[in-house]
Amino acid sequence: MQPADVARSLGAQWPCREVQARQLASLLHPDIPSPPTLVVHGISATCKSTIIRGVLSTLEVPHAVVRSTECITGRHLLTKILWNTLEAVGQKDEWEKFGKGRCEHVSSLTVLLEECLASRAEKKQGKFVLVLDEIDRQREAPHTLLSALARLGEIIPSLCVVLVLGSTPRPLFLQNAAVPHISFPPYTRKESIDILLASPVPVVEGLPEEIISRIYPHFVATIYDTLVGPTAGSIPNFLSICERLWPLFVDPVVQGESPPGGNTEWDFSHLLLKNRALFRHQGESALVHRIVPEESSAPSKTFRAPLAPKPAPSALPSLPYFSTLILTSAYLASHTPQRLDTIFFSKFSSSSLSARNKRAHHRRRLKVLSQAQAEDRANDDPSTPNKKGKRTKTRINKSTLSAAFATSSATTSATGAGGITGPSTILTARPFPLERLLAIYHAVDPNPPANPIRTGAVADQIYTELATLRRLRLVVPASGHVGATSMGSGNTSADAGEKWCVNVSGDWIGELAKGIGVEVGEWLAGGLD
Amino acid sequence: MDPDGLEDALDLARDRSQYQGVYVYQPAKPGKASGERPTKRRKVSTIDTGGQKSDVHSFLPLLNGEESAECVQLRHDTYKQLWSEQEDKIQKILEDVDAGVLTDVLSFVRDTSPQTCNGCIPTALVTVGSNVSSLSRLLSRLNDQLTTSGEGGVVVLESGDAPNLKTSLKNIIRAAVTNTEGNDGYQKFLTDRSGPRLLGYDLDLLHDYVQRRGTKKLVLALRDSEAFDPGLLTDLLSLFKSWLDRIPFTVLLGISTSVELFEGRLPRSCVSMLQGKHFEVQEAGNCVDRIYESLQAEPNAKMWLGRNITSTLFEKASDYFLTPEAFSRMVKYAYMSHFFANPLSTFLGGSPSPAMSQGRFCEAIRNLPSFRMFCEDLVESGSGNEVPPLLENDEHLFEQAVKHFEAGQQNMRQIFQAVRLIHACLQHTQGTKKTSFSDLSVHALSGELSESPIVDDMLAIVRALDSEKLGEVLETLPKDMFHQTPLGEIQAKLRTLQETYAESGPLHSEYNINSSVVKTTVVQQRIQLSKGKANLPEQDIEYTKILDCLIGTLQEYFAETLIPPQDLFLHEAFLFDLRNPLKETFGPRPRFAIERAMASPFDYLFSSPDASGARISAKQPATAILYQLYLESGALVNVHDLWQAFYGVFENDQGKKCDDRIVMSLFYGALSDLKSFGIIKNSRKKTDHLAKVAWMGL
Repeated sequence: MQPADVARSLGAQWPCREVQARQLASLLHPDIPSPPTLVVHGISATCKSTIIRGVLSTLEVPHAVVRSTECITGRHLLTKILWNTLEAVGQKDEWEKFGKGRCEHVSSLTVLLEECLASRAEKKQGKFVLVLDEIDRQREAPHTLLSALARLGEIIPSLCVVLVLGSTPRPLFLQNAAVPHISFPPYTRKESIDILLASPVPVVEGLPEEIISRIYPHFVATIYDTLVGPTAGSIPNFLSICERLWPLFVDPVVQGESPPGGNTEWDFSHLLLKNRALFRHQGESALVHRIVPEESSAPSKTFRAPLAPKPAPSALPSLPYFSTLILTSAYLASHTPQRLDTIFFSKFSSSSLSARNKRAHHRRRLKVLSQAQAEDRANDDPSTPNKKGKRTKTRINKSTLSAAFATSSATTSATGAGGITGPSTILTARPFPLERLLAIYHAVDPNPPANPIRTGAVADQIYTELATLRRLRLVVPASGHVGATSMGSGNTSADAGEKWCVNVSGDWIGELAKGIGVEVGEWLAGGLD
Repeated sequence: MDPDGLEDALDLARDRSQYQGVYVYQPAKPGKASGERPTKRRKVSTIDTGGQKSDVHSFLPLLNGEESAECVQLRHDTYKQLWSEQEDKIQKILEDVDAGVLTDVLSFVRDTSPQTCNGCIPTALVTVGSNVSSLSRLLSRLNDQLTTSGEGGVVVLESGDAPNLKTSLKNIIRAAVTNTEGNDGYQKFLTDRSGPRLLGYDLDLLHDYVQRRGTKKLVLALRDSEAFDPGLLTDLLSLFKSWLDRIPFTVLLGISTSVELFEGRLPRSCVSMLQGKHFEVQEAGNCVDRIYESLQAEPNAKMWLGRNITSTLFEKASDYFLTPEAFSRMVKYAYMSHFFANPLSTFLGGSPSPAMSQGRFCEAIRNLPSFRMFCEDLVESGSGNEVPPLLENDEHLFEQAVKHFEAGQQNMRQIFQAVRLIHACLQHTQGTKKTSFSDLSVHALSGELSESPIVDDMLAIVRALDSEKLGEVLETLPKDMFHQTPLGEIQAKLRTLQETYAESGPLHSEYNINSSVVKTTVVQQRIQLSKGKANLPEQDIEYTKILDCLIGTLQEYFAETLIPPQDLFLHEAFLFDLRNPLKETFGPRPRFAIERAMASPFDYLFSSPDASGARISAKQPATAILYQLYLESGALVNVHDLWQAFYGVFENDQGKKCDDRIVMSLFYGALSDLKSFGIIKNSRKKTDHLAKVAWMGL
């Protein structure tokens, strides 16, 4: 079979990849000597593995495919290469002859593969292709692995190694000149739309065939231009969006609504006008994958579904009273500069007017400061944070500034769908020692014990609850430095002097705290203003 | 100066003997010589023969050691029997609570496959809230169901089992195989394969296993999903996804916060691999309430928890993360304490044996506060001649005690029956905020329920109900009530009335707002409002009569039954109400204890006679002295100052003959002690200074 035939036969099933299929077919053709190594690269969902498999099975070249993501270690990969090769050449039962099925190093792999390929029956001697899928994402790979694997084909003449990469390779990354590369570029607009139109139209009951053929191509193109193209979506993504939106889009036709403007028939532009809201609401939610899909996308529902208010997000978790208070204290400890502790949390003059004014003053100043920081961040200009001369000059030092600038802070990473709102979270969470949490706990406790001398200390109870909060990842131990929350292994031991950091967004904590009678804003920068 | 003399002078020898009470360490076996290899540890199944015996011996004879062995045995047996009954009840409730979610999850697991989830891994998100333990119950029952039907199994993974990818895979494979094959089966599975031995973390193993068993669903449950490292989770899930065409995974994630929070914390690439459904497990509070109700209000209950304990228990349940299991453990501890320390608990055994009446048992009864009250009541009520036999004749006293004990139990049962009645009524009469059973019980156990505003409000609302609603309320009341009170009669009357006037719709009483009329009269240019009763039809008047009768009956019933349990004779035997053992045991306070021990060491150590006055003295252990000096200092402490002060303490005591080298060594020892407690550390701000890390009394 000639390469052009291969490409044609594959093109029926996997359109728009004829060029690559022809290249592969001519390089891997059983009658033509192959290059020892071949690199295939392209981003995900560009049909790399499928085309390679298709070409190899159409040409009937003996081959073995190893999915590198399924291999946990480098050794695992090598062993798997050996077994899959043995299996492909039909010598699986004689594994004991080949290093007892063990292979711990690339050099031994070379020897074993050579023996294995040489032991084939006489008439089956010939080319053997080894495909290593997504080899650039191999875990625990030694840095010489790729170039060593690329050398395999040179040492073993009958072997051709195909390396499939998910990223664009650097020049000469195999330390080897003139390795042929085949690129699988992302599909263009035209190709994507063609592929979509070639695949079956989502079934909608009661829709005339004629309308489908008239409207569907326009619909697909619109979806591509509005949702898929700008977000660099892949083909499966594109397909699933079309499947979700098509029934909603043609719903007016199915429901038998009469088209506007006295027309007798729906045409695309009318439908589009009618469905503007659909693209806004459903389209955006279609782009973001949720673990629990929203129920409103059920096609059998009435057409007004997209305009209906979104189902309320599942109620935020409520914690027991004591844990809530601890979490609130932790949040305050994380978001109040330590030097202001005496002003905000001291009980000596807490109720007097002057103390309240003082606090309000500091809250405002912190707000100004954090706004300045936000502006600085926007301007990307880390100069002096103040704008109002000496009066607002702060003593917030370099480390706090860098905390504010750190983008990978705990707060931003934890907010999820809600996003950061409110000025209080602009200053990112900073770690605090445990004793400070305890002290702040006593300061914010809405029901302080009537006789503090006689009631026992609560520190010990706080420790147990804190352990639970830590298990829920609401409060995490901060390892040493600002902003770097330890996301390490699941061990739950903590050092005595260790610092902690809160790991959730402020809004939720504010809500929770209100439930137990604590007003968080009273202590925060810019709160209550 | 010879060191011995000084040691005497400093009382160090005595110091050491004081410590001996605290530190007794005797290694069980002399350690082996360092050259020898340690013997290999083997798994030997030791059959515990001494268990049963030592169990009984854990109960000590009370009454100054004069309690007879039979009584000890009786107390022990009664406890065992009583608690096992209660435990069964608790278990049933827990199973019942989970049943709904279990069926949902099971059908989800059965019905979904990667195809129905757009090629994603089918995922069940189970939010458990603060009810952390319910998930493990759910999982074990899910596992039972799946294994018995041969569909597959559940592999439970905890964050502790997953430090890295290799280990977690190993654990998953091992757990999956041992789940059905057992531990030996796993070993056999590893060795008895054709082909080379696979690495422990190779999912090929699992694939093999799945093929051999014909597994259709393999549920991988992550108990505490939040605690997993997100990077590891992504790795693990991407691996599963790539194997999904060969191994039928379903992932079950236990979430304690909320789905949004959890999802927000995962990388997008990880979220896009999952799709599924969200399940919610019932909150713990409700469950705890039901457990409490079943323990206290069952008609055959024998002993009760008092109001202090109840309020402690529910304070704990609302303020802290408390699982139903932990709750029942606390209740168990209360039961245990009662039987362990109260000789009168033998009464609960059911059949009073003559052995009980011997010895000091009767003397113990006579010392009860409730006995004294009982006698005083007798004298006051004019039957004072009954008292001397009680005081003098043991047998008579015992008979009386048994009689009153049973009567008291009956009283308690009636109290809780009344509480149940009120609770049932409140379900109808209260709008949004429902008073829980436990709140009512606390009121009832302190004897305040019959006059409490809750009951008054309830009766007021019942009075305004129309006949249909009233019928509904009466329907839902506990059935056994109707035999003892005239309630049954009232219900029958109401029924006949309703049947007679079936066509005229619901009947209203005169207390109903609609049936009072506001009259407006103009008197000297002023408007006077006066309320008057509308003319009621005959059936409504009759209905009003029934209502009056009902309210009267209820009031009477409440006043009669809801008496303070503390007034009952022998309530000490069937009512356990000591707050302390529970609080101390379930809220240990290590930090408080350490602080107290160091701030005032003679609270724990034997005090020397002259040490009590001075606050800091050289008689105290060196660490305690240093700690007290530390408390007096600021956030940064100069070490030299601290040393000077420390030395000063000894100088004051011994005068000139104090050797600063020994004091120095004490100082260093004490300092390192404080460091190991983690309350001081070296300061980076100033040289030669220590930073204060802990403050007392937080």
